[in-house]
Amino acid sequence: MNQDMRRDFASRGELIAYLREQFPEAAQGDEQVPAQRGGRRAAEAALQAVRPHAYGKTRNFLDGAVTRLSAYLRHGVLSLAEVRDHALRQVRQREEAAKLVNELAWRDYWQRVYAEIGDGIWRDREPIKTGHTRYADALPQDIQQGETGLACIDAFSRELRETGYLHNHARMWLAAYIVHWRRVRWQAGARWFLQHLLDGDPASNNLSWQWVASTFSHKPYFFNRENLEKYTAGIYCRGCPLAGHCDFEGRYEEIEARLFPNRPAEPASPPRRR
Amino acid sequence: MEKALIWVHGDCLSPHNPALLAQPSAPALWVWDEALLASYGVTLKRIVFIYECLLELPVHIRRGEVATELLHFAEEHGATHILTTGSPSPRFAEICARLEQRYPVEVLPGPPFLSGGGRYDLKRFARYWARAQHHAFGDSG
Repeated sequence: MNQDMRRDFASRGELIAYLREQFPEAAQGDEQVPAQRGGRRAAEAALQAVRPHAYGKTRNFLDGAVTRLSAYLRHGVLSLAEVRDHALRQVRQREEAAKLVNELAWRDYWQRVYAEIGDGIWRDREPIKTGHTRYADALPQDIQQGETGLACIDAFSRELRETGYLHNHARMWLAAYIVHWRRVRWQAGARWFLQHLLDGDPASNNLSWQWVASTFSHKPYFFNRENLEKYTAGIYCRGCPLAGHCDFEGRYEEIEARLFPNRPAEPASPPRRR
Repeated sequence: MEKALIWVHGDCLSPHNPALLAQPSAPALWVWDEALLASYGVTLKRIVFIYECLLELPVHIRRGEVATELLHFAEEHGATHILTTGSPSPRFAEICARLEQRYPVEVLPGPPFLSGGGRYDLKRFARYWARAQHHAFGDSG
Protein backbone atom coordinates (compact mmCIF):
# COMPACT_ATOMS: atom_id res chain seq x y z
CA MET A 1 0.00 0.00 0.00
CA ASN A 2 0.98 3.62 -0.53
CA GLN A 3 3.67 2.61 -2.96
CA ASP A 4 4.54 4.93 -5.76
CA MET A 5 4.39 3.51 -9.25
CA ARG A 6 7.55 3.67 -11.34
CA ARG A 7 8.71 6.79 -13.16
CA ASP A 8 12.07 5.64 -14.48
CA PHE A 9 11.97 3.91 -17.84
CA ALA A 10 14.82 3.45 -20.26
CA SER A 11 12.46 3.31 -23.22
CA ARG A 12 8.84 3.46 -24.29
CA GLY A 13 8.92 -0.30 -24.67
CA GLU A 14 9.91 -0.70 -21.04
CA LEU A 15 7.09 1.62 -19.94
CA ILE A 16 4.57 -0.36 -21.98
CA ALA A 17 5.80 -3.69 -20.61
CA TYR A 18 5.45 -2.32 -17.08
CA LEU A 19 1.91 -1.04 -17.69
CA ARG A 20 0.87 -4.31 -19.30
CA GLU A 21 1.94 -6.06 -16.13
CA GLN A 22 0.36 -3.46 -13.81
CA PHE A 23 -2.97 -3.31 -15.63
CA PRO A 24 -3.60 -6.83 -16.90
CA GLU A 25 -7.36 -6.26 -17.32
CA ALA A 26 -6.77 -3.26 -19.56
CA ALA A 27 -4.22 -5.19 -21.60
CA GLN A 28 -6.47 -8.24 -21.94
CA GLY A 29 -7.87 -8.44 -25.44
CA ASP A 30 -6.28 -5.13 -26.33
CA GLU A 31 -2.58 -5.49 -26.88
CA GLN A 32 -2.44 -2.25 -28.83
CA VAL A 33 -0.41 0.74 -27.80
CA PRO A 34 -1.05 4.24 -29.08
CA ALA A 35 0.86 5.59 -32.06
CA GLN A 36 0.32 9.05 -30.61
CA ARG A 37 2.53 9.93 -27.68
CA GLY A 38 1.30 11.53 -24.52
CA GLY A 39 2.92 14.51 -22.82
CA ARG A 40 3.40 18.20 -23.22
CA ARG A 41 6.39 17.94 -25.58
CA ALA A 42 4.42 15.86 -28.08
CA ALA A 43 1.44 18.19 -27.64
CA GLU A 44 3.52 21.25 -28.45
CA ALA A 45 4.93 19.58 -31.54
CA ALA A 46 1.39 18.77 -32.69
CA LEU A 47 0.34 22.35 -31.99
CA GLN A 48 3.18 23.70 -34.12
CA ALA A 49 1.92 21.60 -37.02
CA VAL A 50 -1.60 23.09 -36.95
CA ARG A 51 -2.61 24.91 -40.15
CA PRO A 52 -5.83 26.73 -39.27
CA HIS A 53 -6.78 27.84 -42.77
CA ALA A 54 -6.18 24.45 -44.35
CA TYR A 55 -8.06 22.87 -41.43
CA GLY A 56 -11.11 24.98 -42.20
CA LYS A 57 -11.06 24.00 -45.86
CA THR A 58 -10.25 20.28 -45.62
CA ARG A 59 -11.21 19.00 -42.17
CA ASN A 60 -14.11 16.87 -43.42
CA PHE A 61 -11.82 14.82 -45.65
CA LEU A 62 -10.14 11.80 -44.12
CA ASP A 63 -6.80 13.03 -45.45
CA GLY A 64 -7.56 16.66 -44.57
CA ALA A 65 -5.43 18.95 -42.41
CA VAL A 66 -6.95 17.86 -39.09
CA THR A 67 -5.05 18.85 -35.96
CA ARG A 68 -4.83 15.57 -33.99
CA LEU A 69 -4.94 17.70 -30.82
CA SER A 70 -8.06 16.12 -29.35
CA ALA A 71 -6.32 13.77 -26.89
CA TYR A 72 -4.17 16.64 -25.57
CA LEU A 73 -7.23 18.88 -25.22
CA ARG A 74 -9.24 16.16 -23.51
CA HIS A 75 -6.61 15.74 -20.81
CA GLY A 76 -5.82 19.43 -20.47
CA VAL A 77 -2.25 18.99 -21.75
CA LEU A 78 -3.22 21.90 -23.98
CA SER A 79 -6.00 24.33 -23.15
CA LEU A 80 -8.63 25.48 -25.64
CA ALA A 81 -7.45 29.04 -25.09
CA GLU A 82 -3.82 28.33 -25.97
CA VAL A 83 -4.78 26.42 -29.13
CA ARG A 84 -7.07 29.31 -30.13
CA ASP A 85 -4.38 31.91 -29.43
CA HIS A 86 -1.81 29.91 -31.37
CA ALA A 87 -4.20 29.52 -34.32
CA LEU A 88 -4.95 33.24 -34.42
CA ARG A 89 -1.23 34.00 -34.56
CA GLN A 90 -0.88 31.74 -37.60
CA VAL A 91 -3.38 33.59 -39.80
CA ARG A 92 -3.50 36.99 -41.46
CA GLN A 93 -7.22 37.39 -41.01
CA ARG A 94 -9.30 36.10 -38.15
CA GLU A 95 -11.74 34.43 -40.57
CA GLU A 96 -9.03 32.00 -41.64
CA ALA A 97 -9.07 30.48 -38.16
CA ALA A 98 -12.83 30.81 -37.69
CA LYS A 99 -13.68 27.15 -38.34
CA LEU A 100 -11.03 25.90 -35.95
CA VAL A 101 -12.20 28.30 -33.23
CA ASN A 102 -15.78 27.15 -33.84
CA GLU A 103 -14.74 23.51 -33.37
CA LEU A 104 -12.85 24.37 -30.18
CA ALA A 105 -16.07 26.01 -29.01
CA TRP A 106 -17.91 22.70 -29.45
CA ARG A 107 -15.69 21.21 -26.76
CA ASP A 108 -16.28 24.20 -24.49
CA TYR A 109 -20.01 23.75 -25.11
CA TRP A 110 -20.01 20.02 -24.25
CA GLN A 111 -18.08 20.73 -21.04
CA ARG A 112 -20.63 23.36 -20.01
CA VAL A 113 -23.49 20.96 -20.65
CA TYR A 114 -21.63 18.32 -18.60
CA ALA A 115 -21.23 20.75 -15.70
CA GLU A 116 -24.97 21.31 -15.82
CA ILE A 117 -26.32 17.76 -16.23
CA GLY A 118 -23.53 15.53 -14.87
CA ASP A 119 -24.36 11.84 -15.28
CA GLY A 120 -27.37 12.92 -17.33
CA ILE A 121 -25.02 12.67 -20.32
CA TRP A 122 -25.79 8.91 -20.22
CA ARG A 123 -29.53 9.46 -20.60
CA ASP A 124 -31.49 10.69 -23.62
CA ARG A 125 -31.56 14.49 -23.47
CA GLU A 126 -34.74 14.51 -25.55
CA PRO A 127 -37.05 11.89 -27.11
CA ILE A 128 -35.47 10.16 -30.09
CA LYS A 129 -36.81 11.46 -33.42
CA THR A 130 -36.36 8.41 -35.62
CA GLY A 131 -39.87 6.98 -35.28
CA HIS A 132 -38.39 3.83 -33.68
CA THR A 133 -38.69 2.87 -30.04
CA ARG A 134 -36.83 -0.47 -29.86
CA TYR A 135 -33.04 -0.50 -29.86
CA ALA A 136 -30.67 -3.33 -28.95
CA ASP A 137 -28.71 -2.92 -25.71
CA ALA A 138 -25.49 -4.60 -26.80
CA LEU A 139 -23.04 -3.73 -29.55
CA PRO A 140 -23.00 -6.63 -32.05
CA GLN A 141 -19.78 -8.66 -32.19
CA ASP A 142 -19.32 -8.22 -35.93
CA ILE A 143 -19.01 -4.46 -35.45
CA GLN A 144 -16.61 -4.80 -32.52
CA GLN A 145 -14.47 -7.29 -34.44
CA GLY A 146 -14.64 -5.41 -37.74
CA GLU A 147 -16.39 -8.27 -39.53
CA THR A 148 -19.52 -6.70 -40.98
CA GLY A 149 -18.28 -7.10 -44.55
CA LEU A 150 -18.58 -3.35 -45.16
CA ALA A 151 -15.02 -2.27 -45.97
CA CYS A 152 -15.44 1.24 -44.53
CA ILE A 153 -17.11 0.21 -41.26
CA ASP A 154 -14.66 -2.64 -40.68
CA ALA A 155 -11.70 -0.32 -41.31
CA PHE A 156 -13.07 2.25 -38.84
CA SER A 157 -13.61 -0.46 -36.22
CA ARG A 158 -10.05 -1.69 -36.66
CA GLU A 159 -8.55 1.79 -36.59
CA LEU A 160 -10.42 2.67 -33.41
CA ARG A 161 -9.16 -0.45 -31.64
CA GLU A 162 -5.63 -0.36 -33.00
CA THR A 163 -4.80 3.34 -32.77
CA GLY A 164 -7.26 4.88 -30.29
CA TYR A 165 -8.09 7.55 -32.85
CA LEU A 166 -10.72 8.10 -35.53
CA HIS A 167 -11.26 11.08 -37.79
CA ASN A 168 -14.38 12.99 -36.74
CA HIS A 169 -16.23 12.18 -39.96
CA ALA A 170 -15.46 8.46 -39.54
CA ARG A 171 -16.82 8.66 -35.98
CA MET A 172 -20.06 10.10 -37.33
CA TRP A 173 -20.43 7.47 -40.05
CA LEU A 174 -19.67 4.64 -37.62
CA ALA A 175 -22.05 6.04 -34.99
CA ALA A 176 -24.83 6.51 -37.56
CA TYR A 177 -24.32 2.95 -38.82
CA ILE A 178 -24.55 1.54 -35.29
CA VAL A 179 -27.59 3.55 -34.17
CA HIS A 180 -29.62 3.86 -37.38
CA TRP A 181 -28.69 0.92 -39.61
CA ARG A 182 -28.19 -1.65 -36.83
CA ARG A 183 -30.58 -0.01 -34.39
CA VAL A 184 -28.38 -0.30 -31.31
CA ARG A 185 -28.75 2.04 -28.34
CA TRP A 186 -26.30 4.92 -28.64
CA GLN A 187 -25.00 4.21 -25.13
CA ALA A 188 -23.51 0.90 -26.30
CA GLY A 189 -21.53 2.64 -29.02
CA ALA A 190 -20.54 5.50 -26.73
CA ARG A 191 -19.15 3.03 -24.18
CA TRP A 192 -17.13 1.26 -26.87
CA PHE A 193 -15.60 4.53 -28.05
CA LEU A 194 -14.65 5.51 -24.49
CA GLN A 195 -12.79 2.25 -24.02
CA HIS A 196 -10.53 2.98 -26.96
CA LEU A 197 -10.34 6.67 -27.87
CA LEU A 198 -7.28 8.44 -26.48
CA ASP A 199 -9.43 11.58 -26.47
CA GLY A 200 -12.38 9.73 -24.91
CA ASP A 201 -14.24 12.34 -22.91
CA PRO A 202 -17.61 11.33 -21.48
CA ALA A 203 -19.24 14.67 -22.35
CA SER A 204 -17.91 15.26 -25.88
CA ASN A 205 -18.33 11.60 -26.74
CA ASN A 206 -21.78 10.90 -25.35
CA LEU A 207 -23.34 14.17 -26.39
CA SER A 208 -21.99 13.70 -29.93
CA TRP A 209 -23.54 10.22 -30.00
CA GLN A 210 -26.79 11.81 -28.86
CA TRP A 211 -26.45 14.36 -31.67
CA VAL A 212 -26.18 11.51 -34.20
CA ALA A 213 -29.02 9.55 -32.57
CA SER A 214 -31.32 12.64 -32.50
CA THR A 215 -31.74 12.74 -28.72
CA PHE A 216 -29.77 15.99 -28.69
CA SER A 217 -30.63 17.38 -32.13
CA HIS A 218 -33.65 18.03 -34.30
CA LYS A 219 -33.19 14.99 -36.51
CA PRO A 220 -31.05 11.89 -36.89
CA TYR A 221 -27.71 12.19 -38.67
CA PHE A 222 -27.18 9.71 -41.50
CA PHE A 223 -25.20 9.57 -44.72
CA ASN A 224 -25.03 7.81 -48.06
CA ARG A 225 -22.25 6.07 -49.96
CA GLU A 226 -21.71 9.04 -52.24
CA ASN A 227 -20.94 11.23 -49.22
CA LEU A 228 -18.58 8.68 -47.70
CA GLU A 229 -16.87 8.03 -51.02
CA LYS A 230 -16.31 11.76 -51.61
CA TYR A 231 -14.68 12.43 -48.25
CA THR A 232 -12.57 9.24 -48.26
CA ALA A 233 -11.36 9.56 -51.86
CA GLY A 234 -13.07 6.22 -52.47
CA ILE A 235 -10.42 4.18 -50.66
CA TYR A 236 -12.96 1.91 -48.97
CA CYS A 237 -15.55 1.60 -51.74
CA ARG A 238 -12.96 0.60 -54.37
CA GLY A 239 -12.00 -2.63 -52.65
CA CYS A 240 -15.33 -3.34 -50.97
CA PRO A 241 -17.01 -6.65 -51.81
CA LEU A 242 -20.37 -4.92 -51.35
CA ALA A 243 -19.57 -1.99 -53.67
CA GLY A 244 -22.59 -1.00 -55.69
CA HIS A 245 -25.09 -2.79 -53.44
CA CYS A 246 -24.18 -1.86 -49.87
CA ASP A 247 -26.48 -0.54 -47.13
CA PHE A 248 -25.48 3.02 -47.89
CA GLU A 249 -26.49 3.14 -51.55
CA GLY A 250 -29.09 5.63 -52.70
CA ARG A 251 -30.18 9.22 -52.49
CA TYR A 252 -30.75 10.79 -49.06
CA GLU A 253 -34.52 10.69 -49.50
CA GLU A 254 -34.44 6.97 -50.29
CA ILE A 255 -32.21 6.12 -47.34
CA GLU A 256 -34.30 8.25 -45.03
CA ALA A 257 -37.45 6.43 -46.15
CA ARG A 258 -35.74 3.05 -45.58
CA LEU A 259 -34.28 3.90 -42.18
CA PHE A 260 -37.09 5.96 -40.70
CA PRO A 261 -40.38 4.94 -42.32
CA ASN A 262 -42.35 6.08 -39.28
CA ARG A 263 -40.64 9.39 -38.81
CA PRO A 264 -42.89 12.42 -39.21
CA ALA A 265 -42.14 14.07 -42.58
CA GLU A 266 -40.42 17.41 -42.82
CA PRO A 267 -39.02 19.38 -45.71
CA ALA A 268 -36.17 17.42 -47.29
CA SER A 269 -32.69 18.82 -46.82
CA PRO A 270 -29.35 17.05 -46.75
CA PRO A 271 -28.12 16.41 -43.20
CA ARG A 272 -25.73 19.04 -41.98
CA ARG A 273 -22.25 18.26 -40.78
CA ARG A 274 -21.70 19.09 -37.19
CA MET B 1 2.39 26.22 8.97
CA GLU B 2 0.34 25.94 5.78
CA LYS B 3 1.34 22.99 3.65
CA ALA B 4 -0.44 22.17 0.43
CA LEU B 5 -0.93 18.87 -1.37
CA ILE B 6 -1.64 19.09 -5.09
CA TRP B 7 -4.13 16.66 -6.58
CA VAL B 8 -3.48 16.21 -10.30
CA HIS B 9 -6.36 14.57 -12.21
CA GLY B 10 -7.10 13.64 -15.81
CA ASP B 11 -8.58 16.95 -16.92
CA CYS B 12 -5.41 18.98 -16.38
CA LEU B 13 -2.20 17.15 -17.33
CA SER B 14 -0.24 20.24 -18.30
CA PRO B 15 2.88 21.57 -16.59
CA HIS B 16 0.94 24.87 -16.66
CA ASN B 17 -1.71 23.29 -14.43
CA PRO B 18 -2.71 26.28 -12.22
CA ALA B 19 -2.42 24.21 -9.03
CA LEU B 20 1.15 23.12 -9.85
CA LEU B 21 2.08 26.69 -10.72
CA ALA B 22 0.53 28.07 -7.54
CA GLN B 23 2.59 25.77 -5.27
CA PRO B 24 5.60 24.55 -7.28
CA SER B 25 7.34 22.97 -4.30
CA ALA B 26 4.30 21.19 -2.86
CA PRO B 27 4.06 17.41 -3.26
CA ALA B 28 1.67 16.38 -6.03
CA LEU B 29 -0.21 13.13 -6.50
CA TRP B 30 -1.99 11.32 -9.34
CA VAL B 31 -4.15 8.30 -8.49
CA TRP B 32 -5.28 5.72 -11.04
CA ASP B 33 -8.97 5.34 -10.24
CA GLU B 34 -9.20 1.56 -10.34
CA ALA B 35 -12.99 1.40 -10.08
CA LEU B 36 -13.36 3.88 -12.92
CA LEU B 37 -10.91 2.01 -15.17
CA ALA B 38 -12.83 -1.21 -14.54
CA SER B 39 -16.29 0.27 -15.04
CA TYR B 40 -15.32 1.89 -18.34
CA GLY B 41 -13.21 -1.08 -19.48
CA VAL B 42 -10.47 1.37 -20.42
CA THR B 43 -7.88 -0.23 -22.71
CA LEU B 44 -4.11 -0.23 -22.33
CA LYS B 45 -3.44 2.39 -24.99
CA ARG B 46 -5.35 5.05 -23.06
CA ILE B 47 -3.35 4.21 -19.93
CA VAL B 48 -0.06 4.45 -21.85
CA PHE B 49 -1.01 7.86 -23.24
CA ILE B 50 -1.92 9.27 -19.83
CA TYR B 51 1.16 7.73 -18.20
CA GLU B 52 3.37 9.48 -20.76
CA CYS B 53 1.69 12.76 -19.82
CA LEU B 54 2.35 12.06 -16.13
CA LEU B 55 6.04 11.32 -16.71
CA GLU B 56 6.51 14.95 -17.77
CA LEU B 57 4.91 16.27 -14.59
CA PRO B 58 6.36 16.48 -11.06
CA VAL B 59 3.86 14.00 -9.59
CA HIS B 60 3.84 10.86 -7.53
CA ILE B 61 1.80 8.13 -9.20
CA ARG B 62 -0.35 5.72 -7.23
CA ARG B 63 -3.43 3.58 -7.78
CA GLY B 64 -6.52 2.57 -5.85
CA GLU B 65 -9.45 4.48 -4.45
CA VAL B 66 -8.76 8.12 -5.23
CA ALA B 67 -9.97 9.89 -2.09
CA THR B 68 -8.45 7.25 0.19
CA GLU B 69 -5.06 7.48 -1.52
CA LEU B 70 -5.11 11.28 -1.42
CA LEU B 71 -5.93 11.27 2.29
CA HIS B 72 -3.07 8.83 3.02
CA PHE B 73 -0.69 10.92 0.98
CA ALA B 74 -1.80 14.12 2.73
CA GLU B 75 -1.12 12.49 6.08
CA GLU B 76 2.30 11.18 5.01
CA HIS B 77 3.32 14.69 3.97
CA GLY B 78 1.66 16.52 6.84
CA ALA B 79 -0.45 18.56 4.45
CA THR B 80 -2.88 21.12 5.83
CA HIS B 81 -4.98 21.56 2.69
CA ILE B 82 -5.50 20.20 -0.81
CA LEU B 83 -5.19 22.19 -4.00
CA THR B 84 -6.50 21.09 -7.40
CA THR B 85 -8.02 22.34 -10.66
CA GLY B 86 -11.69 22.27 -11.62
CA SER B 87 -13.51 19.57 -13.57
CA PRO B 88 -17.17 19.23 -14.61
CA SER B 89 -17.13 15.49 -13.82
CA PRO B 90 -19.58 14.40 -11.09
CA ARG B 91 -16.95 11.94 -9.84
CA PHE B 92 -14.60 14.87 -9.25
CA ALA B 93 -17.28 16.54 -7.09
CA GLU B 94 -17.79 13.31 -5.11
CA ILE B 95 -14.08 12.94 -4.44
CA CYS B 96 -13.79 16.58 -3.37
CA ALA B 97 -16.71 16.10 -0.98
CA ARG B 98 -14.90 13.16 0.65
CA LEU B 99 -11.63 15.08 0.93
CA GLU B 100 -13.41 18.04 2.47
CA GLN B 101 -14.43 15.93 5.43
CA ARG B 102 -10.76 15.98 6.45
CA TYR B 103 -9.04 18.89 4.70
CA PRO B 104 -9.95 22.21 3.14
CA VAL B 105 -9.97 21.81 -0.66
CA GLU B 106 -9.21 24.72 -2.96
CA VAL B 107 -10.29 24.31 -6.59
CA LEU B 108 -8.55 26.61 -9.04
CA PRO B 109 -10.26 27.29 -12.37
CA GLY B 110 -8.55 26.19 -15.57
CA PRO B 111 -7.78 28.79 -18.24
CA PRO B 112 -11.12 30.08 -19.60
CA PHE B 113 -11.88 29.74 -23.32
CA LEU B 114 -14.43 32.55 -23.49
CA SER B 115 -13.54 36.04 -22.40
CA GLY B 116 -17.15 36.79 -21.39
CA GLY B 117 -18.51 35.17 -18.26
CA GLY B 118 -22.11 34.68 -17.25
CA ARG B 119 -24.66 32.10 -18.25
CA TYR B 120 -25.10 30.69 -21.72
CA ASP B 121 -28.20 29.11 -23.20
CA LEU B 122 -27.11 25.48 -23.65
CA LYS B 123 -30.26 24.07 -25.25
CA ARG B 124 -28.45 23.84 -28.60
CA PHE B 125 -24.93 24.68 -29.73
CA ALA B 126 -26.34 27.34 -32.08
CA ARG B 127 -27.84 29.25 -29.17
CA TYR B 128 -24.63 29.05 -27.18
CA TRP B 129 -22.58 30.09 -30.21
CA ALA B 130 -24.81 33.06 -31.01
CA ARG B 131 -23.42 34.67 -27.86
CA ALA B 132 -20.13 32.81 -27.42
CA GLN B 133 -18.75 33.83 -30.83
CA HIS B 134 -18.32 37.37 -29.53
CA HIS B 135 -16.08 36.06 -26.74
CA ALA B 136 -14.35 33.12 -28.45
CA PHE B 137 -11.61 34.97 -30.30
CA GLY B 138 -9.69 36.06 -27.25
CA ASP B 139 -8.33 39.55 -27.08
CA SER B 140 -8.91 40.07 -30.77
CA GLY B 141 -12.64 39.34 -30.31
